[in-house]
Amino acid sequence: MLNKLSPWKKAGLYIVLILVCVLTLLPLVWMLSASLKLDKDVFRIPIEWIPSNPAWSNYQRIWDQVPMLRFTFNTFKITVITTIIQVFTCSFAAYGFAKCQFKGRNLLFLIYVATIAVPWQVYMLPQYSMIQQFGLVDTHASLILLHAFDAFGVFLLRQFCMGIPNELLEAARIDGLSEYGVYRKIVLPQMGPSIATLVIFTFVTNWNDFMGPMIYLNSTELKTVQLGIRMFMGQYSTEYGLIMAASVVSLIPVVIVFLIFQKQFVQGIATSGLKG
Amino acid sequence: MATKEKADRNAAASKKSSGMTLKRRQTIVGMSFITPNFIGFFVLILIPVLFTFRLCFSRWDGYNPMEFAGLENFRYIFTHKVFQDAVIKTLIFTVCSVGITTFLSLGLAVLINQKLKGIGIFRTAIFFPYVASVVAVAAVWQMLFQKDMGLINEVLRFFGVADPPGWLASTKWALTGVIIVNIWKSMGYYMIIYLAALQDVPTSLVEASMIDGANAWQRFWKVKWPLLSNATFFVVMMLTINSFKSFDLIYALTEGGPGTATTLMSNYIYNQSFVSWDYGRASAAAMVLFAIVAVITLFQFRIEKKFSND
Amino acid sequence: MKLKKILSLALAGTMCLSLLAGCSGGTPDPTASPNPPANSTGTEASTPVNEPTELTGTLKVSVWDMTAAPIYPALIKGFEDAHPGVTIDPIDIPAADYGTKLSVMLNGGSDVDVFFVKDADTIYSIAGRGQMTDLSSYIARDGVDLSKYAGMDANLNIDGKQVALPYTNSYYALFYNKDIFDAAGVDYPSNDMTWAEFEELAKKVTMGEGVDKKYGAHFHTWQACVQNWGVQDGEHTIMDTDYSFFKPYYEMVLRMQDEGICMDFGTLKSGNIAYASAFADGSVAMLPMGSWLCTTMIGKIESGESSVNWGVATLPHPEGVEAGYVVGSTTPVAINAKSPNQDLAWEFVKFVTGPEGAKITASVGSFPAYQDDEALALVTSVDGMPEGAQEAFKVKHVALDRPIADKVSEVNQMLGEQHSLIMLGESDLDAVLADMAEQSKAIQG
Repeated sequence: MLNKLSPWKKAGLYIVLILVCVLTLLPLVWMLSASLKLDKDVFRIPIEWIPSNPAWSNYQRIWDQVPMLRFTFNTFKITVITTIIQVFTCSFAAYGFAKCQFKGRNLLFLIYVATIAVPWQVYMLPQYSMIQQFGLVDTHASLILLHAFDAFGVFLLRQFCMGIPNELLEAARIDGLSEYGVYRKIVLPQMGPSIATLVIFTFVTNWNDFMGPMIYLNSTELKTVQLGIRMFMGQYSTEYGLIMAASVVSLIPVVIVFLIFQKQFVQGIATSGLKG
Repeated sequence: MATKEKADRNAAASKKSSGMTLKRRQTIVGMSFITPNFIGFFVLILIPVLFTFRLCFSRWDGYNPMEFAGLENFRYIFTHKVFQDAVIKTLIFTVCSVGITTFLSLGLAVLINQKLKGIGIFRTAIFFPYVASVVAVAAVWQMLFQKDMGLINEVLRFFGVADPPGWLASTKWALTGVIIVNIWKSMGYYMIIYLAALQDVPTSLVEASMIDGANAWQRFWKVKWPLLSNATFFVVMMLTINSFKSFDLIYALTEGGPGTATTLMSNYIYNQSFVSWDYGRASAAAMVLFAIVAVITLFQFRIEKKFSND
Repeated sequence: MKLKKILSLALAGTMCLSLLAGCSGGTPDPTASPNPPANSTGTEASTPVNEPTELTGTLKVSVWDMTAAPIYPALIKGFEDAHPGVTIDPIDIPAADYGTKLSVMLNGGSDVDVFFVKDADTIYSIAGRGQMTDLSSYIARDGVDLSKYAGMDANLNIDGKQVALPYTNSYYALFYNKDIFDAAGVDYPSNDMTWAEFEELAKKVTMGEGVDKKYGAHFHTWQACVQNWGVQDGEHTIMDTDYSFFKPYYEMVLRMQDEGICMDFGTLKSGNIAYASAFADGSVAMLPMGSWLCTTMIGKIESGESSVNWGVATLPHPEGVEAGYVVGSTTPVAINAKSPNQDLAWEFVKFVTGPEGAKITASVGSFPAYQDDEALALVTSVDGMPEGAQEAFKVKHVALDRPIADKVSEVNQMLGEQHSLIMLGESDLDAVLADMAEQSKAIQG
């Protein structure tokens, strides 16, 4: 009954949304158009939105000049493993921070959040030295480790966990469930949309990360998509047509992941504990 | 509420536990949830971060032994005009970004939280700026902001603005331009958080309020908004931190220019670490940033506590 | 709980300690670091090996643009062909981030053996941290003739230590579009021209309107494309603390911008207009640019992307300065002081910066730093190089656009910020120049 909008309201909503989307999709359209142009035409003003002579060869050349397939596989591997570790350990920790009572909890949480506020540039060097000592430079493990324990995920899930009514957990405890049981049987099923959010964010961040792979990876066969895209940027000349073609291709997995997990955001899917 | 909970648990726990005190049990259980993440976090994030606390009182080129420098680094940055300007600009940038983005992302989330045909497409489209490559985003906006032929100024002229600004090519307007692009790029991200939070608002509550005759506006403020407080806290916090740390996008758009018109604190820190290789000064600047964020965080935590106590 | 606390504290303590050791311990013995080859070559020097017997091993070499520029693959292949027992393991780094990554690697204690230095101005700080091997003893041992570097090697000699050797130089020259000059019925630019004459000439060849407009000249958005003409005489550098010598050139470029002889800075910036594209699509008559543009243009013509009939002349010179006084930069190669393969690394450096390397460098259209009779002839006769290139690139003196000194990167950064203010016409020229001087003094202390 919530969704019964009058046709007028519906039409208005569509118009507003279409206007917003025109604005947000502008760069995508430009990227698509630029990916079909020669370098010299990419920045020509006024913008030629539909290239009169599309350079489809750009999409061929990105695979020929750079081992993009390998890079895509590497990025996929790093991103998926990082996301799994992150979701698993973060949801666990989030429950601890949100629903378990113990001394020093708030202080510990504050420390977590505080590290988010320190710019990466200043602690990058000590981090690198440490990874170097572990012998992990130029491995995928270095990137996975660096991103999997980002404090962001704990913070995000803890906030959502806080919203789960205590009455619900108490009831389960009285029914004899242990804390772990409460987590698995009550909390985890409630966190669908928030875990989807974390998956989307972790996936996007890792997929688009450039600085991490740039600093930590040396061997060509280990490199990622974002590094591959940078290979088209030379010291004296940049092949924008190819960069845009590669960027369009690299967007596809991200969009697929988003489309899969955004289904969690369909209103009414979440079953709230207070119902009934 | 809290005491009642404790009492309940006391009762439940004392039935099971023998020998071990309740407090201890709780601590061990709580710790066991946190430990897997904490080990990684401690080694890989916290130690390097703690290291910068030491660095800000040192002179260090990144390689040779550190020398103790006392407050010298702080004295330098506080008397450096570029840094002073950067702090002010960062504050302006943050206040505008946080305020407007929170408002827009919440608005969009409410709009899009509907069962409509094709709503998934709209959701993806609004999220898109966040995933789009920074290079492409910067290029498009640079062209849109162009003084003579850019789309934005064409529109302004159409509405009778005789002398539209030079945007990114003007010291007066560049910061505004950068704020606009930043909001545009991040609103989809925070919209997703609100969207996820809205899923937790029990339909039964909303329906109940409808039966009570509340209109859409009242329903939002009376029913949904209080339940969104945890998400709002997160959004405002992350927006504040991310605005303070914002670097990539601004660098791609203006490289901190023209002049130093869009050189924010993070850009200053970047220059100190990767141009000057002066880690002491970079860390000192980072500590200032950290201190500002910490004050805001503590303030917000207090508000959050108040909320949850109510 | 107490035990746990103690344990975690102890763990934290040891981690911190090992971390500190890891960072500051980059040089295990700081007193030894300034002159590392002393111990590594000590034995070597006492038993001089003139003709190294079969070299074997693997070298890690950091480079940029492996895919985009032919020079690095060519140099590596050349060395591997000459020494079949050696494998070169290149670390390919994106050009824009080369300096950052290289410094992080060196600071973090990476075992990279040889590194090319993309921006010569970063040499001072890398050498200052003691991360480059002093090549002097090797140079003396193998009798390397430094006079072949035409003075460029002196720039890489810091406090009496030869920390690197140059392998390629680039000079600014004047690239021009013959078609536009022909259409305007004007003579091509000469190799002996003052900047005032250049401006006159640019005025003459500016024509057309709108999309068909041909600009007489083009100044790319880098500060170098204005400020370089101020240091060309060899008497000033960007490290001076009075920048009035920039003034005539800023006035010239701003004037040309106002008169529509060159594209306006704001448009170039917001449109991300690449100088090579502007020149290659034939909308620009004259472009003062570095010699690397030769390779780019040859490539663009070959691939059919451009059909411009281009030529090259010596860079215009300031009034009262001889023709052939130009500005440019040198690109050096160095050995990581921490490399375990010092001797083998030196063989690579010697090859790249010596006559064999020079031939390879020239064959891909870059100017070798090692000057012999063949080198210039070879590079200017590369396929696709325009006629008269050899004359145009005959230079008498090359001033470094960025000298190798302390704080150059910071001063350069500041000059770049101020450059945009002047070029956008945001602030008064004199005021900005005064501010530049002020800031430069503050940075240099």
